[in-house]
Amino acid sequence: MEIDKTKCVGCGNCHPICSMGAISLNVDGISVVDQDECVECSTCHRVLRDERYGPSLVGAVRKFLSFFRLQYMAEVDVCPTGALTPPELDWPRSLRAAFSDPTVVHAGTGVGGRGTEEIKTNDVTGRLGEGEAGIVVELGRPGTGAHFRDVETVAMALAPLQPDFEPFNPVTQLMEDPKTGKMKEEVLDEKVLSAIIEVKTTLEKIPDYLHTLQAVQKETDAVFSVGVASRCLPDGSVPHEKWVTEAGYTLSPNGKTNLGLGRPLFQGD
Amino acid sequence: MTNTLHRQGTAEELKEDYVIFATTARGITREGSAPKIQEFMRICLRHDPVNIGSSRQGNILQNDVEIHELIANLGDGAGAAAVFTDLDTLQKVISELIEADLGVSINVSGLLDGVQQCCRGNGTERHSIEHSLGFWGSRDRLPEREILAFNTLCGHGLVSFNLIRKMIEYVKMRRLTPREAAKNMGKCCECAVFNTVRAEHLLEKMLET
Repeated sequence: MEIDKTKCVGCGNCHPICSMGAISLNVDGISVVDQDECVECSTCHRVLRDERYGPSLVGAVRKFLSFFRLQYMAEVDVCPTGALTPPELDWPRSLRAAFSDPTVVHAGTGVGGRGTEEIKTNDVTGRLGEGEAGIVVELGRPGTGAHFRDVETVAMALAPLQPDFEPFNPVTQLMEDPKTGKMKEEVLDEKVLSAIIEVKTTLEKIPDYLHTLQAVQKETDAVFSVGVASRCLPDGSVPHEKWVTEAGYTLSPNGKTNLGLGRPLFQGD
Repeated sequence: MTNTLHRQGTAEELKEDYVIFATTARGITREGSAPKIQEFMRICLRHDPVNIGSSRQGNILQNDVEIHELIANLGDGAGAAAVFTDLDTLQKVISELIEADLGVSINVSGLLDGVQQCCRGNGTERHSIEHSLGFWGSRDRLPEREILAFNTLCGHGLVSFNLIRKMIEYVKMRRLTPREAAKNMGKCCECAVFNTVRAEHLLEKMLET
């Protein structure tokens, strides 16, 4: 995101909205974006209504009020002068928007944001079948963001387990070599709101993956969220529960349920 | 995607948090799915969700979003989600969706046992499950649990820690009501999965302490 210096009046409304805390006031009292930290999610631009006031008018009103020791308290969801300006993004910076702005559809997946349909369409795709498990590692979540070099650290740690990295996942598509988990050099310094490593494996290998993730968490500054999925047995029981709990990890009481209402139902297993 | 997987809260808080969404698969159910997704939204809308919308068009909390117009504009493969706060309503929504037989994939995020009850109450069994195993890595970078409860109500984490703190402060200063503050947070969540009622209750609880 960029801020038009000729329009910004330094009201600061965009500062708390920024998902990465990347906006601050400069010495001239104008808001500026730390371009290294900005993930191009465009939340500031979408959420803050442009009140279309002229900067001179806003400045004059403020000066007048300050004379009486009064302050104008703007609504929290406005940019009085419409100073926020989404830039045209070139590669590889364009990756930031593709992974961080849910309104941007990822060219490789056809899905907005940073992941795939995963288990959400498992009833019709059969992506996870009997005896299989899906593991998702979302780097940068919650609310901290991650660089692709963090993604690489985790992906390379998992690689010796010979994972089946989901080919349609946008992170997999940025790997130089899915066998090693190495990411393309030019993307390593790009920061995104979050990026998901998506792996398909067998139920028996779940403990290996979790132990590996436990070990690699000491090697990265990133926060990551972990999820495990599988197809239910005919009685509705969840095959991965046993493997996760026996490996010493705790499952959340809440989660995602595919109701199996997609048609035609996958019949391959 | 893991959008709604990592919602944080006590079991009691999670009892009022169910997100239902329709998803299509490219080459299988996506093509020609627009009328089915629109019907999914109409069914949800009839049951008064606390939030509803689509990631490409916004949600009912945002300025200038008219829900019927939003539904009419949904195309093939559009994301569609609605949030409910109790299992009884969720069960009725699922019942209508089964009857409508739309053929697109339907998922629910929420307490897994409760959702399973809803499935069984409607004579079906759940198909696939995804669990959260929580937050790993440099957890010292994370804020306190109360802030995370708000932040994880947005599937993409677009409600920033700083905005949450500001809204809490404004509520404590009586500059905003809990409802207004919850709505301001929900505006940031593009894909309509932010539960404003839960956020409002969390803010009310903070006022009491």
